[in-house]
Amino acid sequence: MLIGTLAAVIVKIAFLSALAAGFFYYRTFKLQSNRWLLFARSCYHIAALSLMTASAIFLYLILTHQFQYTYIWNYSSTTLSLPLLISTFYAGQEGSFTLWALYTSIIGLFLMQYASRKDYEPEVMSVYSLIVSFLLLMLVVKNPFAFIWYSFPNDLIQTGPVPAGISNYVMLDAVKNIWARYPVEGKGLNPLLQNYWMVIHPQILFTGFSSMAVPYSLAVAGLLKRDYNSWIRVATPWSVFGSMVLGTGIILGGYWAYETLGWGGFWGWDPVENSSLIPWLLCVASIHTTLTQRKSGAFVKTNFTLSLLTFITVLYSTFLTRSGVLGDTSVHSFVDPGMWVYWLLLGCIVLFAGIGFGLLFMRMKEMPKVPVEHSFISREFALFLGAFALSFVALFVAIGTSSPIITSILKGKASAVEISYYVKTNLPLGIAITFLSGMGQLLWWRHSKTSSLLKSLALPTIAGIVGTLLVLTMGSEEFLILLFTFCSSFSLAANLQVGYGIFMGNPKFVGGSIAHIGIAIMCLGFVTSSRYDEKKTVSLERGKAVEALGYKMTYVGYHPIDNEKYGFNIEVEKGELKKIVTPTMHFSEQTRSTLRHPDLINFLNKDFYVSPVSLEEPSQDNEKSFTLLKGTDVDVADLTVKFVDFDFSNFEKGAMLEGKSFVINVNLEVLEKGKKKQITLKMQNLGGGGPEFIPVTYNSTDNKSYEFRLVRIQPDKEDKSKSQMEFSVKMPQDPSVPQKGETLVVEASVKPMINLVWMGTVTLIVGFALTISRRSEEARAQSERWSKEA
Amino acid sequence: MNVKIIVAAIAIVVGIVLGAVNFLESNVEYTDFAAAERTHKKVQVKGEWVKDKESNFDSQTVKFSFYMKDDSNRIVKVVLDGAKPNNFELATSVVAKGKFVDNEFHATDVLTKCPSKYEGTSEAVQKTL
Repeated sequence: MLIGTLAAVIVKIAFLSALAAGFFYYRTFKLQSNRWLLFARSCYHIAALSLMTASAIFLYLILTHQFQYTYIWNYSSTTLSLPLLISTFYAGQEGSFTLWALYTSIIGLFLMQYASRKDYEPEVMSVYSLIVSFLLLMLVVKNPFAFIWYSFPNDLIQTGPVPAGISNYVMLDAVKNIWARYPVEGKGLNPLLQNYWMVIHPQILFTGFSSMAVPYSLAVAGLLKRDYNSWIRVATPWSVFGSMVLGTGIILGGYWAYETLGWGGFWGWDPVENSSLIPWLLCVASIHTTLTQRKSGAFVKTNFTLSLLTFITVLYSTFLTRSGVLGDTSVHSFVDPGMWVYWLLLGCIVLFAGIGFGLLFMRMKEMPKVPVEHSFISREFALFLGAFALSFVALFVAIGTSSPIITSILKGKASAVEISYYVKTNLPLGIAITFLSGMGQLLWWRHSKTSSLLKSLALPTIAGIVGTLLVLTMGSEEFLILLFTFCSSFSLAANLQVGYGIFMGNPKFVGGSIAHIGIAIMCLGFVTSSRYDEKKTVSLERGKAVEALGYKMTYVGYHPIDNEKYGFNIEVEKGELKKIVTPTMHFSEQTRSTLRHPDLINFLNKDFYVSPVSLEEPSQDNEKSFTLLKGTDVDVADLTVKFVDFDFSNFEKGAMLEGKSFVINVNLEVLEKGKKKQITLKMQNLGGGGPEFIPVTYNSTDNKSYEFRLVRIQPDKEDKSKSQMEFSVKMPQDPSVPQKGETLVVEASVKPMINLVWMGTVTLIVGFALTISRRSEEARAQSERWSKEA
Repeated sequence: MNVKIIVAAIAIVVGIVLGAVNFLESNVEYTDFAAAERTHKKVQVKGEWVKDKESNFDSQTVKFSFYMKDDSNRIVKVVLDGAKPNNFELATSVVAKGKFVDNEFHATDVLTKCPSKYEGTSEAVQKTL
């Protein structure tokens, strides 16, 4: 038996055990007895271990280049470096589902330990196991271990004796002599993915996606247990962890797009980017609304809803990007995975939305109703509005990304929205979010005294004005952008002010302020780098300096990097600075497209960003071609050219087919000012490297040179007068027209203060990390309190 | 309490209106050249590249021009703001996004639709045997 068959069986075992784990955990919860608990746990462990084993086998097959498997043949090859070879694990659909399922099942092992300490294990694990089992079902349907001969039976499966000399075959049926050949080389990894980002980015993104299943499971568990309040303390560390990891993944993807893919910016509002942003926004919104519930007990239903939606949108995002519904409306190519995956993903959404919201609806009536007691100027209200704005961003992004589906239902023809849609809808919300993220920190719970509020507002307002003025000096801009800048600077100062106070009191509690500082810095970076960037397309003729955006650029030539890829060296000068940037272009035979990679100079206060557009070779349009029948002539400038005959005297019959060397001559007669001259064009194959056409130069009496070259011959054996030939003539250069050299066209841009974006990101992640440690301590304290009470 | 509900309701209504208006505005309609000429709005036109008519990239203006035949067989010169799109030679059909100006279609974007990646796989298998 082949090892892949075994692995596919192991995946099925994992699926069934996860399903069993879910069932027996649910029984444990229903019966309120631990009779089945150990069994349920073992089932979950079997599921996780089986999946780990199957993944290890998968990795082994990839590392040993087993192209008997369709997936490995499709995405891998023997020429990849080890890190890239490992990354082919998740380069395709089946593999990335495997990675998602694997990480989800591993996180489940930690969740199991955590939940059992918090007295939540049976409820949460019954839901979580069901999620794991559905992910595994995807692998049962879309088997990563499918054999290539079943994917291409017509090409690979054969009957009869195996010819000698073939070793790459597998006997399928020894009795009937049915066997299959398999490839010895893979198709290889898409060159677009062949860089170090591919090794790290999907791993982080999938860890983030996987951890989004936890808040959902805990919310459903809370509903099952009729625990409407303390579940949020159990869930918060996970929500913050998920937001941190997914956020890191999203921004790394942005950096990948900026630095390597040459999108020109860090965010392109592409469906793939958007679809990971939606759950992130909802998760962040839920972190905020749970804060209010901790304080006052309000927002019970909101918190359930947001936590449920976090995971449901992960499923919806997967559906958007993996089911093929977006079709051709994006730059990403979405492979149609077949009806099974489409319906399974749709079924998953319906099932998990049904479970979550069905339970929520059933329990709605018995939930505590907490009267809202806070005033307009209270932290609660700011948090509520902030979370509201975040959810609206998520909604708008979701609607924009789903546009092809919406329009195909409404208008019958799918069309995507313009990128301007996202900017227009989200900018007002961004203004609200940044303002509230500063204001909320300055306000007290329940109600703030106007006098103390005004006092604390002074510094942030001044900072806001200063920030706006600074941005104004970069060039005039529209009102909304300036307002956004004001609010971001305001939020930055407010959070610094509040954060400093908290840090002096209890440094552990400063996470929230730091995260807000990070967001404010990022938003300022968005404004400066994308709204005040300058862009110019420049044609650089080789060796000639061109001034653009204050930089002197000289294209000095190109060099091959590897066989299909070329680096184009551009000398960039500005004052003292002299640097070479090397954007690259890469014509990929595999994807049959040109890949363009930018290069940049990173200054402290800006990036100088150069992305290649095209290379224009010296123009060849002075070349003309002509077709002549035997015995006819044609006028070429001042000359008259006549096709006399073919000369096959150095040509053996069949030589061309057998790849032997041969020479075919074509005799032409050139008539110039009454004088005749013979020239002979040659088509020859000497080294066996294919036919060559040897150019012949003709110098006219007025000293112009014409270059003749044979293009094609069409001898007619029966009727020799029907023999044809095509030749081309390079006309003499007209010295009055200057000839253009090789020209590189690039798009140069300056992105002011883009480092703010990266700096803000790091700050945000630090803020998340501090919050995780604070909230998990709090969750620990809560469970200790419970066990004491018990 | 009531004031807050009113504020929230207004926020929701404003949000939905804002979203809906932008959504409809930024959805670029699919039409043919004739309709594009009439509306002068930004539209998308699907068609084919007419290969035997000239196509040219001007490195000074950074514009790529080519001739395109739409689904109702009308041939129009398309001027794209940018370089020749990826996979242009291989494309079975192209979609140009832009406006009709003076007998020319000024495109801001040209998408190419290529034969499915999987169409030639049988050939690819043969190659790697």
